[in-house]
Amino acid sequence: MGRLLHVEDLNIEFHDHLIPETVVFDFDLDMDEGEIVGLVGESGSGKSMSALAIAGLLSRHDMKKRGTIRFGETDILGCPRSELRGLQGDEICMIFQEPLTSLNPVKKIGWQVEESLRIHTKMTPEERKERALKILEDVELEDPARVYDSYPHELSGGMRQRVMIAAATIGNPRLLIADEPTTALDVTVQSQIVDLLKKINREKKTAILFISHDLSLVSRLCERVLVMKGGYVVESGPVKEIFENPKEEYTKKLIAAIPKMNDDMVPIKANDKMIEVKDVCVSFTRKKGKTKERVDVLKNVSIDVKEGEILGLVGESGCGKSTLARTIIGLQKPDSGTITQKYPNTQMIFQDPYGSLNPAKTVGFIMEEPLRNLTDMSSEDRRKLAEEMIVNVGLTSEYLDRLPSELSGGQRQRVCIAAALMLKPKLIIADEPVSALDVTIQAEVLKLMRELHDRMGISFLFISHDLRVVHQMCDRVMVMRSGVIVEEGERDEIYAHPKHEYTKELLKSAGISFEE
Amino acid sequence: MRYIVKKILSCIITLFIVSLLVFAAFALIPGDPALSRLGTNATESALTALRHQMGLDQPMPVRYIKWLAGVLRGDFGMSYSYSMSVTSMIADKLPITLTLMIYSMVLMVIISVPLGVYASYKEGTVIDKIIQITNQIVMAIPPFFSGILITLLFGVTLKMFTPGGFVSLNRDPVRFFGFMFFPALAIALPKSAMVLNLLYSSLNGEKKKDYVRTAYSRGNKSKTVFFSHMLKNASIPTITFLGMALADMIAGSIIIEQVFGIPGLGRILLTSIQNRDYPVVIAIIMLIACVVIISNLLVDIIYRLVDPRVE
Amino acid sequence: MKKNKKKNFNLILGSVLLAITLIPAFVGLFWTPYDPETMNGSLKLAGVSIKHIYGCDNFGRDIFSRIMAGSGITLLVAVGTVAFGSIIGTVIGAFTGYFGGIVDEALMRINDVALAFPSLLLALVMVSLLGTGKYQVMLALGIAFVPSYARIVRSEYIRIKNLDYVKAAKLAGASDLRIMFVHILPNTKTVLLSSVMIGFNNAILAEAGLSFLGIGVQPPDASLGRMLSEAQAYMFSNSGYVLFAGCTIVMIILGFSLLSKEIR
Repeated sequence: MGRLLHVEDLNIEFHDHLIPETVVFDFDLDMDEGEIVGLVGESGSGKSMSALAIAGLLSRHDMKKRGTIRFGETDILGCPRSELRGLQGDEICMIFQEPLTSLNPVKKIGWQVEESLRIHTKMTPEERKERALKILEDVELEDPARVYDSYPHELSGGMRQRVMIAAATIGNPRLLIADEPTTALDVTVQSQIVDLLKKINREKKTAILFISHDLSLVSRLCERVLVMKGGYVVESGPVKEIFENPKEEYTKKLIAAIPKMNDDMVPIKANDKMIEVKDVCVSFTRKKGKTKERVDVLKNVSIDVKEGEILGLVGESGCGKSTLARTIIGLQKPDSGTITQKYPNTQMIFQDPYGSLNPAKTVGFIMEEPLRNLTDMSSEDRRKLAEEMIVNVGLTSEYLDRLPSELSGGQRQRVCIAAALMLKPKLIIADEPVSALDVTIQAEVLKLMRELHDRMGISFLFISHDLRVVHQMCDRVMVMRSGVIVEEGERDEIYAHPKHEYTKELLKSAGISFEE
Repeated sequence: MRYIVKKILSCIITLFIVSLLVFAAFALIPGDPALSRLGTNATESALTALRHQMGLDQPMPVRYIKWLAGVLRGDFGMSYSYSMSVTSMIADKLPITLTLMIYSMVLMVIISVPLGVYASYKEGTVIDKIIQITNQIVMAIPPFFSGILITLLFGVTLKMFTPGGFVSLNRDPVRFFGFMFFPALAIALPKSAMVLNLLYSSLNGEKKKDYVRTAYSRGNKSKTVFFSHMLKNASIPTITFLGMALADMIAGSIIIEQVFGIPGLGRILLTSIQNRDYPVVIAIIMLIACVVIISNLLVDIIYRLVDPRVE
Repeated sequence: MKKNKKKNFNLILGSVLLAITLIPAFVGLFWTPYDPETMNGSLKLAGVSIKHIYGCDNFGRDIFSRIMAGSGITLLVAVGTVAFGSIIGTVIGAFTGYFGGIVDEALMRINDVALAFPSLLLALVMVSLLGTGKYQVMLALGIAFVPSYARIVRSEYIRIKNLDYVKAAKLAGASDLRIMFVHILPNTKTVLLSSVMIGFNNAILAEAGLSFLGIGVQPPDASLGRMLSEAQAYMFSNSGYVLFAGCTIVMIILGFSLLSKEIR
């Protein structure tokens, strides 16, 4: 097969500050027709910048690009805008991370899917519509005619990403650049989108440049992978080789951060119940058009957390797992059912470390707040305890005087954990505590939580959508779907012999093998 | 369609609430209208008779219902200061003020929309900067001062119209509209600057949105991206603002009428406030409320046509 | 780099404009070159001269001295208005936004009605209820400004009360009042500050409008709007009077809007 793309010595610099800032250094990439290449890195590694440059979309005047990007016969960096436009949407297409914002909110889906044809072909409106309906069907959307006449806000996240893929592939491009296309989606939808991309590659011979922070996802789709860090490509080669024999420190760290299925942790078998939730129901009324609609979020949920264990609660977004957490902690009143707690002061850690720390208060103020409200400790004692706890989570006491905006995501989540420790709780409910963090940071925070568990004997109710993380952390696992616990049991039992269909689907989507 | 009917019903309820609040507010002000009309040395019997004649001896709810029944028949009661019905006092003034308001609204759209779109399209160029600077200054000019400046420039210096030379529509339509152009411009200018500013910044905000990047990735020309993708999105906040501006225009007219000597609602409103002639004040406030609520209704309908996301 | 330059330009121009207008206003509180109320028949509508740098009005009073005093009153009214409107509005917005419920619904319905009216018109109604004079104008405008602040603060509270850090504060045992005023209020600072700046300009405009119509500040107090309406009658014989009074208003407003642009 012929050479499709040749990138050599690509450097990208920003000039919007006094000192120019280079975001991509000496980027090299060769792609053949029909090949799938993965580009892996954490946020800020320069992967998206490189991809945008290849697609000819980095045209801001405060940005300098050096090097060569050759697509077929065209020099992307050197050719005039009009020539570039001829390629964009026709031979090079792109899909983005956030399908909702990437679609124009006030235009119908059909209009947007057909756009490339309108620009690059002389098809009649009828032909275009026929093609659009066909491609909407190809991306496995139900009822293409209805989708064709819908607006973006009327579709679900997965459907929108399918629409984006349809719009990008309607003209049979030679190269499809997918920039984190699955990050905003649920796990089961993620794996469907990956399968769809595979199918498009197989059937239409479209080459795909797949950009992601998720190394395990990349390994399922791509033959070859480039690992980027801080603007540099640190390692590249066949996926298998990199996985088995990583050369660079950073790649090793990335691979190590992928939660393994074969760890040597022995699950704790505990018996004493510290929290008992019995037949809890929660429902909300939601206004839908003119009628009020009752939505049952939790339907007769009964769980108990046993002393000293880490209990995992798995489910996709909207399944009710966060509502359950809020109900246990007392932020949400149950319609019926009882919650019995053996110990007071159960604490909670939230998903988004940017939203869970008050931006107007210092770390010290936030950490001392529960003591200020609930105890009569003197301010010296409060400060002392805060100093002790911040050291416990791996930071120094200097951090107490900083504002949350001065901290990184991982540091913020450490502060949240430290604040939860202040009342010396026996149980901490952690609601997706690492899903907003980069993978290597994820691993560090998980390690910290595991340490606190071992050292201070704190139990966790660990809520996550990520089955691998749950496997790594938890002794016992519950699977939740639409407000119902569908399966629960010891970790190894659930992962090796899942009984419920939904559990099997989740495991499959996460790429975990089990005995049928 | 059902939505519009529902919306109209809610407008009627709002108007009803307004009337109740306004009527109650004016009924509760300390002071005796009969006393102020007859003077302090009036006899008690004359006062009682007048109070009875004005209906002031009845309790507030009864007076309100009587007043409301009258309003529904187009009768706003009698003026305290002049022995005339309020309706006849304002009937021929209302069209003048409404004309001024609509005239300035049209001018505002004509001035602001093309300039705002053009400035954003040419963002970063010299023309853009000139428009921005002029805009900043115009925005800081109060409407009555813009009226004075326009009188000085177009009336006194350029002699394009006679200051104070208002001609009624019936006598000479051409001169009427010719004269009204200047007060309308005085109202429209500061508001245009605000609309321009809003449209400009929302267009520039749209430029950073993800869907614009998508549109470029499909090989669109910059012009197509700007006019067929961004313009409609950027117009949504602008439409909301136009609705509010419409309400402000009517306040603007009241002031500008004083600058240009136009015998509209503004002048009666002011003399009535100074004379404490409450029936007239209430009537004019209710009329303005009607105009404001109707224009909000129109904006709401347009909004729904433009933005598919509104339920 | 370009951005910084533009920022500095706005900042400098804004400060210069405010210095030109506000320093005389402050000095005017203690000292003016001439008594702003003393009439002098021989100087009626005198033009610009070294002694009277802005000329004299129809009673022969020194215009510069009057503008110094008038700016002071205009600013005083504006400060009073914004202080009243923003404090009451913030308290109402905080309670309704945080607690919600029927009281919130009812108040916001009334608020929507009030907001649909131009604030000048609301002020007109208030003045006709309260009477004229500088304190009445302050109160009238202040009340007319309450709804807009209440709405802004309310929507901030609704947004923030659902954030995780408020939930965390609840778990830390903070009372509702503590959450409202210790945890949430500091986070509305940016929004509140910029609406106070905008409100300040609107207050100047509204006061000038009311006084221009003759139902605002009453003689012997002279505000800039009042002076404009007096000057308007003589604009054909001495256009300087109108222009000086008017330009002072424009400069104050332009100065504040340039500064507030940078603070945001």
